[in-house]
Amino acid sequence: MKTLTPSIMELTDNFSIETNSKDLSISHEIINDELKLKITSNYSQIPSRIKLISSNRSNFKIIADIYLNENATLEIIDENDYIIDTSFIFKSFLGSRSVLELYRFNKFQSDTNNSFVHTCNMSNGSMFKDFNFTNGSDFTNNETKINLNEENAKYVGSGVVMSNSSKCENNLEIRHLSKSAVSDCSFKAVTRGSSNVSFKGKVFVDENCSNTQSNQISKGLLIDEESKINLTPILEINNDDVVCSHGAASGKADEEVLFYLASRGISKSEAERIYIQGFLSEFIEKIEDAEMQAKGQNFINENC
Amino acid sequence: MLEIKNLNVTVEEKQILKNLNLNIGKGEVHAIMGPNGSGKSTIAHTLAGKPNYNVDSGEVNLNGEDLLSKDPYERSLNGLFLAFQYPIELPGVTNASYLKQIVNAHRKSRKETPIDAGEFLKILKEKSKLLDIPMDMHSRFVNAGFSGGEKKKNEVLQMDLLNPSLIIMDETDSGLDVDALKTTADAINKLRNDERSFIIITHYLRLLEYIEPDYVHVFQNGSVIETGDKTLASRIDQEGYS
Repeated sequence: MKTLTPSIMELTDNFSIETNSKDLSISHEIINDELKLKITSNYSQIPSRIKLISSNRSNFKIIADIYLNENATLEIIDENDYIIDTSFIFKSFLGSRSVLELYRFNKFQSDTNNSFVHTCNMSNGSMFKDFNFTNGSDFTNNETKINLNEENAKYVGSGVVMSNSSKCENNLEIRHLSKSAVSDCSFKAVTRGSSNVSFKGKVFVDENCSNTQSNQISKGLLIDEESKINLTPILEINNDDVVCSHGAASGKADEEVLFYLASRGISKSEAERIYIQGFLSEFIEKIEDAEMQAKGQNFINENC
Repeated sequence: MLEIKNLNVTVEEKQILKNLNLNIGKGEVHAIMGPNGSGKSTIAHTLAGKPNYNVDSGEVNLNGEDLLSKDPYERSLNGLFLAFQYPIELPGVTNASYLKQIVNAHRKSRKETPIDAGEFLKILKEKSKLLDIPMDMHSRFVNAGFSGGEKKKNEVLQMDLLNPSLIIMDETDSGLDVDALKTTADAINKLRNDERSFIIITHYLRLLEYIEPDYVHVFQNGSVIETGDKTLASRIDQEGYS
């Protein structure tokens, strides 16, 4: 576990940031209802960490420009239960061999609208680990665009959506713009009630991008008859020297699995819960940080 | 212990079991043999309560209670255990977590508190050792990527953990090599006692050479056509069913 000596910066009466490092520079300005942040992370022996803290007092919009200098490592953690509308617009620039880790564990109140838009530009050998756990909200929009601009840049992302009666749109575009870059994306959704969840995952490989590796998998689990899941993988590949795979599948819970659990003394409702937990936890090991993996697992367990 | 009277079962509009009668006493081991499609697995799944196995008529009593009126999970909690021929994979759930949850489901039904993590680990280690199951298998997802032998041993481990009164083994010997068969059979023999009964469904004599049955029944067209002692299994092995 990383050493955390937190210092809290209260940026508005609604929003604070907890940081652990003096190698971070954070400036901010408030214009109307918008909080504009500029975050710069430099190389530090202890990776820098930022925790976003919402006081849930009023709806807010946060626009953040994030710069990671060469070899810097920055973790951003948003672990908030939001009862207000939210809007995040992130733009990040990852210097050579820098690492950005973004963890979002968000439970949204059902009558809120929430939007998260992120464009990430990645340099040589940089890495972006992007994990999102979402539950609730009337409307949620997740939009992420990754530009793997230079060689050996690597994106690993996983999204978990649990939806009871909401509309949740998820768009991920990964652009391989230089050779030897890697992307690995997984998305899982569980829907109930009148939920409507969509995932559109586009992978673009430019013509000069030899030795590209890309993997994308999306799966949906429909708990009842009413809810909808729409999974759309799109691959546009303009180079022959690539290894790209994709898969998309959605359906109901496997009756054979539920019967197997029942045959061991597990009631129907409990079997369904275990099934959903298993379904959503399948890719949890992609989170290498043990603390964050445990948070992800807890989020799944508590919200199933 | 188990009484099956005039049981008729239809699966996907085809009648499989026809007026089946079978009585199994406490502590007895009954082997069921028979050609493919004779209804061996159907009786196993029907007793466990698998959906779409429709009981048209007949009665089944387990320990004096009507089994057929109970949900599948209640049948398990009442002492029935089915070891699956093809154990189901459960991605995303580690074997250790799964085993602990099924143990706790049974403890809850007995109004006991959930098992302590340390105590469970100790029991798991002891019982895994009996079956030559490495502990790292329990950190993998349930049956996912397990070999055929590992899956079958995991079934036997579950029957040991849940302490059932009636164990139905549906071709547990398939997929086991000679050494694994012996290890598994030894573990099953340790579970034999005066209170616990077994139904062993198998095609082969070799399992019954390790686990000696009290009775052998031959199934054909959904009912029992012959019953005998263990020598009947030897005769079938040599002469076939015709």
